[in-house]
Amino acid sequence: MRFVTVALAAAGIAACGSSFPPPNDEYSAAQADVGRAETGGAPGVPDARLHLQLAQEDLQKSKGLIDGGDNKRAADLIAVARVEAQLALSLARQDQAEGQARSAQADLAKAKGGQ
Amino acid sequence: MRSGILVSFLAAAGIVACGGEVPAPKALVDARADYARAKGGVTLQLDPTDVHEADLALQKAELAWSDSHDPNDEHAIDLAIIAQRKAQIAMAEAAAQKAQQDSQQAKSDLAATVQAQLQATRGQLDKTQQNLALTQTALQQTAAQAAEQKKELADLEGKLREARDTIAKIAAVKDDDRGMVITLQGEVLFKTGKWDLKPAAMAKLDQIADALRGKEQPMVVYGFTDNVGATDMNMDLSQKRAQSVRDYLVTKGIPSDLIQAEGKGPSSPIAENTSVEGRAQNRRVEIVVQPKKS
Repeated sequence: MRFVTVALAAAGIAACGSSFPPPNDEYSAAQADVGRAETGGAPGVPDARLHLQLAQEDLQKSKGLIDGGDNKRAADLIAVARVEAQLALSLARQDQAEGQARSAQADLAKAKGGQ
Repeated sequence: MRSGILVSFLAAAGIVACGGEVPAPKALVDARADYARAKGGVTLQLDPTDVHEADLALQKAELAWSDSHDPNDEHAIDLAIIAQRKAQIAMAEAAAQKAQQDSQQAKSDLAATVQAQLQATRGQLDKTQQNLALTQTALQQTAAQAAEQKKELADLEGKLREARDTIAKIAAVKDDDRGMVITLQGEVLFKTGKWDLKPAAMAKLDQIADALRGKEQPMVVYGFTDNVGATDMNMDLSQKRAQSVRDYLVTKGIPSDLIQAEGKGPSSPIAENTSVEGRAQNRRVEIVVQPKKS
């Protein structure tokens, strides 16, 4: 009786792991997010670059997990990779916008100083 | 059975104890903190959509933690990281929007400042141009006046030359520092010791008056005598003779306010008084036509 219970539990675990489909679409979406962060200026902004690297690492790990059949864990890591990439892009946008604001304010101060 | 009940009781007690003691994972604590910052600041105003996304993500993370209460539950930790990142995204996007607003405001202010400076410069330019136009007009008027005055002067000089030529035919004319000096000998004008004009003198003075009339130049008629006789008498005689000439010229159209008479007596001789000819030269009347006052 004990043997049957263990066997069923093991079969159940195996069934759960293998029944989770490979998160291929999510993986592609995460790659696209990383690409947008890269072209959006994240590599040039220290904070953004850090989160971009985290996204790339998570994405790399998730690939290994998919290859190893741990699709559920891979899906979690891909979800994290996506928000890391999105944050990298947002930080790059913030940096650019703040730089433009500083430049515009400097232009204004210069114009007022020349009055 | 009794031992089974005991085990169940201990397990339940253990869960309760763990529920109270097991701290939330750091990722969840950080997510809560960042979400609170995002919700409490201007981020909610500027980027409510991303704050809402962070809220939903945090709810999922809290649910996963409440289900497992396992600090090592990777799924729950990932959800917490996702919630934290979404809160950070909301703050970054809000900061970007704020910076864009600041930038837009600065550009708008810059445009207004430049416009104001441009208007001020245009105003100054207009004023300068108006002043320039006024100056040019004044300059033109001055130039016109100068030209007019120059023409008047030339005309006057021409008339004076004509007058001088005319007078030179009947009297001695010279120029000195007093102006044009017309000298008439006393014998031509008066009888000895008298100051009434001779008829011939009047004829000469008529010609002189004709020549000088309308010139608007001040004149002084000086009377001179020789040194024969008392000085007082000579002074009186020269004054009366000068006055006679002056009065006659006034009757001939020379403005009375422009002509004066002055007796000089024997002073200022132009020849020696030791000879008849010299004394005759010294007995004279000089009409000095002074330069016109501007």
